[in-house]
Amino acid sequence: MREPPYQTVQKPYGRALVELARQREDVVCLSGDLTRQCEVDLFRDELPDRFVHAGMAEANMIGMAGAMAREGLNPFVHTFGVFATRRPLDQIVNAVAYPNLPVRLIGFMPGISSPGGPSHQAIEDIALMRALPNMTVIDVADAAEITQIVPLIADHPGPVYLRLKRGEIPVIFDEDRRVSLEQAQVISTGDEVAIFTNGMMLSAALAAASTLRGRGVRVAVVNVPVIKPLDVDTVVRVARSARAVVTAENHSIIGGLGSAVAETLAEAGLGRTLRRVGLRDTFAEGALSGPYLFERYGLTTQHIIDAAWNALDRTDEPPAAAATPVEAGEYAPV
Amino acid sequence: MTRSLSPTRATAIPAPRHDAARVATGIRLRALRMVAPQGFGYLGQALSAAETLAVLCAELFRPGVDRFVCSPGHYIVAAYAVAAEVGLLDPEELAAYGQNGSRVEAIGTERSPAVDLTCGSLAQGLSGGVGFAYTDRLRGREEEADAPHTFVLCSDGELEEGQLWEAALFAAHHRLGRLTVVLDANNSQVDGPVDGITTLEPIGEKWAAHGWHVAELDGHDLDALRHAYADALSATRPSVIIARTSTRHGLDCLPPDADGHFIKLPPDLANQAFTELEARYA
Repeated sequence: MREPPYQTVQKPYGRALVELARQREDVVCLSGDLTRQCEVDLFRDELPDRFVHAGMAEANMIGMAGAMAREGLNPFVHTFGVFATRRPLDQIVNAVAYPNLPVRLIGFMPGISSPGGPSHQAIEDIALMRALPNMTVIDVADAAEITQIVPLIADHPGPVYLRLKRGEIPVIFDEDRRVSLEQAQVISTGDEVAIFTNGMMLSAALAAASTLRGRGVRVAVVNVPVIKPLDVDTVVRVARSARAVVTAENHSIIGGLGSAVAETLAEAGLGRTLRRVGLRDTFAEGALSGPYLFERYGLTTQHIIDAAWNALDRTDEPPAAAATPVEAGEYAPV
Repeated sequence: MTRSLSPTRATAIPAPRHDAARVATGIRLRALRMVAPQGFGYLGQALSAAETLAVLCAELFRPGVDRFVCSPGHYIVAAYAVAAEVGLLDPEELAAYGQNGSRVEAIGTERSPAVDLTCGSLAQGLSGGVGFAYTDRLRGREEEADAPHTFVLCSDGELEEGQLWEAALFAAHHRLGRLTVVLDANNSQVDGPVDGITTLEPIGEKWAAHGWHVAELDGHDLDALRHAYADALSATRPSVIIARTSTRHGLDCLPPDADGHFIKLPPDLANQAFTELEARYA
C-alpha cells in the first residue's frame, strides 16, 4: 500500500482492455461517441476490426451488445456512467440483465467526479444496477485494481457494471494487490469503528483512518470493490468486531454501498451505529472542479472523520484531516 | 425508393417447402385455439401477420442458419403458431399458451420457443437483429455460401419509439444487407388506430431516407410477399418489407369494430371463428 500523494497513470483501463483483447478473440469494444474519454481510443487504433462506433445511441448500443453476447462475443460497452445506466435502463433490463448475458457495461466519470452538473453526474448508477437481478456491480479504486479487474470480468458468465474514474488514475496499491470478485479486502483491523468504502472514496477513507488513529481511535478499513454480490461474510465479521460502522461512497447514500451494508447488518441482527458518507439524497450541480463538489456535498476525508466521530458518540472536537499537497500528476483525496 | 409491387423480377423465387396459404390459415386457427380459452387476447396480431410469417417460414427461413427476431412480444402467438405449422414446435405445446408455469407465455420472454430473440418491451428487437447481423460481419460470415440472414418482425406502432430509428441508422450506415425488417403495418396500437395517435406516414419514405431498401405491399398478398422477400434477400442494403395488413383479415366473422390489439372472443364468436377457420383449413 502506497502513501499519498499518489502517483497517477493514464489509461490503465484502455491498456488492460487491449491486452485482454489480444489474448481473447471474443472481446469486442463498443463506444457511444466517448471513445477517447473512455480510454478505448487505444482499442480503436490497435484492433479496429473489433471496434464498433455505436454513435450517440445508447439504447441501440445496449441492444446490439446483448445480441452479440448471445452469439458468443464478449462485448465491452463504453460511455459515461449516466449514459450507461439511467438512459438505457429498460434496454439493460431486457437485453442484458434478464437474459443474463456476458455484457460488460463500463461507465466512466462516477458520482460527482464530473463537474458537468446533474446530467453528467452518475450518483445513482450503482443503485440502478444493484437492483437488477444477475448484475454484478463494481467500483474500483486505483490502476492496480483496474488492470486486474478487466480480465476477471471477461471471464464472468453474467453481466457486469464497472464504474471507472476518468482521467488521471491514482496508484494506491502495490503490485501484489489481488482483486477478487468474491471477497472484500480488509486493509486494516480495529475494534472501534469500521469504515467500508470503495472507488474514489478509498483514498479518503485511508486518510481519515490515519488521522483517527492519530487520536487513538482503533479503525478498521475495508475496501469493497464489488458491491454486488456483496461479500456479506466479511462485512458482518468486521462490523461485529467494531462498535460503529461508517460507509463512504461517491454516490447517493440511497441504494449503493451504504445501503448494501445497512441491509447486511440488519439482516444479521447486528445493531451497530451506522453513518453513511455520500450524496444525501440530493442532486449536485455544475462547477469548475470535482474537489469543490466533494467539499460541498460532503465527500471529503474530513466528512469521514466527522462521521466516525459522531458514530462513536464523541462529543469533543474531531481531529482535522491532514492536508496533502499535490504536484502535477499526483493525486490525493479531498 | 424501390417498390416491390413492380411485376418484373430478376431474383429467382425458391420452391416452397410448405403451402404458404394453408400455413397462413393454420396460423390463424392455432392462434384462435390459444386465445379462445381466455376469451380475449392477441389474436389480431396473428391475423395481420399470418401471410408475412407464412411465406417466410414456409418458403425461405433456414432453421439453424437464419435468425428470427420477434420484436413485439405480443406477436409471439403468431410465431408459436407458424413454428407449429412448419414443424419447428410441437403443436401440443400450444395448449399451454399463457398458462401458469408454461414457457409458452402470452408475451414473449427468454423462455419463448421458436424465436432467436423477442422483446416484451417494444421496439428493442431491431437493435438485437442489428447485433446479430453485425456479429456476422465481425466474423466474416457475410461472404460465406450459407451466410445467415436475420429477419426482424416489427410492428408499425414500434416506429413511435426512438430506439428503432437508432438501430435503423446504424444498420444503414453499415449497409447490413443480410438484415430484413418485416414491418406488420396493421394500424393498431393499444389506444386505437396508430394513425389516430401519431402520424407515421409516409412510412416507406422514412425508411428510404434512412438508407434502407424499401418494399411496400399488401401484406396479405402471398405473391407480392414472395417477390419482396426475394428482393430483400439479394439487396446489398438492409431491407424493410412494409406489409399493409388488417387485424381482422382472414376471419370474416369478426365484427368491424373489433379491437385489433386485444380481441374479445365471447364463446359464441369463438365458435363461429372455429367453424370458419376449421372449414378453410380442412
